[in-house]
Amino acid sequence: MRARQLLTIILVGLLSCLAEGRQLAIVAANSATTANLSSSELVKIFNAKTHQWPDGKPIIVVLRDPSSSEMEMVLHRLLNMTPEEARAFVDTHRNAFAIVNSDDEVIRFVSSTRGAIGVIDLFSLTKDVNVIKIDGKLPVEQGYLLRGN
Amino acid sequence: MIRKTIVCLSAALALTMPAATQQDSTSPASSQQISASAALPLTTKSQQARHIVEEAMNLYLDKVEQANSIELLRAALKIDPEFAMGHEFLAWVSLDPAEQVSEQAKAFANRTHVSDPERTVIEWCQDGADHNLISAITKMNELLHQFPHDKWVVWMSTWWLTQETQYERAIDIYEHSGLTDNPGLMNNAGYDYAYIRQFDKALALMDKYVAALPDDANPQDSYAEILRMAGRYDRAIEHYRAALAIDPEFYSSQFGIADTYSLMGDQVRARHEYMIGFQKFSLPELHRILWQTREAMTYVREGDYEGADKAFQAVADYADVHPMSQVEADTYRQMALYQPDPKQALKLLDKADAALAGGSNAQLAAIQQEKAQLLRVRVELALKMGDTGVAISAMTKLSEMSQKSDDKVIDTAYEGAAGAAAFSDHQYKIAIQHLQEDMDNPLSLKLLAQAYEKIKDHASAKRTLDLLADFSSPTLEQAIVVPSFRKCYQDRTCDIKVALK
Repeated sequence: MRARQLLTIILVGLLSCLAEGRQLAIVAANSATTANLSSSELVKIFNAKTHQWPDGKPIIVVLRDPSSSEMEMVLHRLLNMTPEEARAFVDTHRNAFAIVNSDDEVIRFVSSTRGAIGVIDLFSLTKDVNVIKIDGKLPVEQGYLLRGN
Repeated sequence: MIRKTIVCLSAALALTMPAATQQDSTSPASSQQISASAALPLTTKSQQARHIVEEAMNLYLDKVEQANSIELLRAALKIDPEFAMGHEFLAWVSLDPAEQVSEQAKAFANRTHVSDPERTVIEWCQDGADHNLISAITKMNELLHQFPHDKWVVWMSTWWLTQETQYERAIDIYEHSGLTDNPGLMNNAGYDYAYIRQFDKALALMDKYVAALPDDANPQDSYAEILRMAGRYDRAIEHYRAALAIDPEFYSSQFGIADTYSLMGDQVRARHEYMIGFQKFSLPELHRILWQTREAMTYVREGDYEGADKAFQAVADYADVHPMSQVEADTYRQMALYQPDPKQALKLLDKADAALAGGSNAQLAAIQQEKAQLLRVRVELALKMGDTGVAISAMTKLSEMSQKSDDKVIDTAYEGAAGAAAFSDHQYKIAIQHLQEDMDNPLSLKLLAQAYEKIKDHASAKRTLDLLADFSSPTLEQAIVVPSFRKCYQDRTCDIKVALK
């Protein structure tokens, strides 16, 4: 038996049997001035079509390994590439991308690098970075671009 | 159970007696002290209260003796009513909805005179209760960063992540905690592996859990439950019986046997086992309601809706008198689900709404979740009745709730309803997108398999049907959908399309 709280019991096990959903978040340094991006702006950034922030700072996109399961949604919804294509793309745009091994490393890189923007699992979020809204929505809101199974 | 509580309480008091006269005034720990000790401080005026709380939480985590743990926590809080973390722990552990609400409020009110980490714990829990998910996650990670090897921080984090259905992250924290030999954490991680259907790892942890506490009943009980989740019913019953042989008072194993017989299709035997449990044990209120509800489901599994109505109504009446608004509402919701007559189902949903409006002894989060569940049933019912206006109206309300919320239960209620609406409108690809977000509800799985078939994605349909046939949680949705489907699915002469209707 696993100790349980009220909600689990009364919703007849509902909470304890929900499918795991992935929620990603786009994060930037706390000092970043951009708090909101549109989907199309984000797609342009991730496809290295937009290279600079409005204040002229170069953009660096910080990602986990494109072939990792964590990045599946990013490949599908932002890059529209296979993992192999994404790797090749990143290799040819080395100045625009940084590939790291964990969400903690994404946060460390983003919080200490001017102009960096990263993707993390929402549940890895710390106070060292800010969540950027996409189309005015936070990751916890219905319709957020990087939300789903 | 009562006798055992007294014994445990006496033992804890005896252990801490020398400190009882000291009433040391522990000041909040400074950040320097915190990083040196790397253990979550517990600020209290009373050493004795602290010892009792620690004893209570060890009992809760390692042995899942929830009732005893609750009694100890209450005793500690009598000694120091301003013990903020004591209130917080009781809010987590309590099985009384009113107590959960009041204890969280007391923890929050007393957070001003505790250490920074304790305050962070309390505010994280408050954020969780208020659905401020981003703030809650940030605070949890701050605590994990400060105390990655503290048993209570690891326990609370992994437990909360499990509630948020973040099973893999909960496992990751456990695996990196340096506390993988802690029996309670091992137990919880076993369930997390089971929820992601990695039963080999879940059962390996259960072997380890049993070996760590060979004289305790809970490891056997957990082993049984995970075997049951894997559909290995006979072995599950063996382990439940092993738990009862170790501790004849371990009532959850008795009810586990009953639940398992019910899932196996033997409702007469299941009711007999429930009856033994109700006669033999004095149960905490919410546990009794839980298993009375499961007993009521045995009639649904038999197709005896009259018998089911009678049994469910008894639960609803009890919840009305005592009063527990959300429990009452959820009971009527479940009754509505199996009604053959949609008009009768609508009447029951109206009763559920009326009960919920009472708002007695329920957390706001629980009321909102129930409201979403009720709207979902309204949508599905309206679609069945061809009443598009009602379906759209309920769908709109549910969509608004989901947009404003970051609650898993509300979101999955929305996704299930939206999937059903899209399916009804022959928008199969859209239906699939929604239904994929509600994969652990047999009602959604059933529609999802049909939607895949409609778009000729036979491989995905087959995978979904396999998942549906294996679904072994004792929920009402399972009772309505799975047994008849499974029977047909295993019979090669049976037409699956008919079983899915």
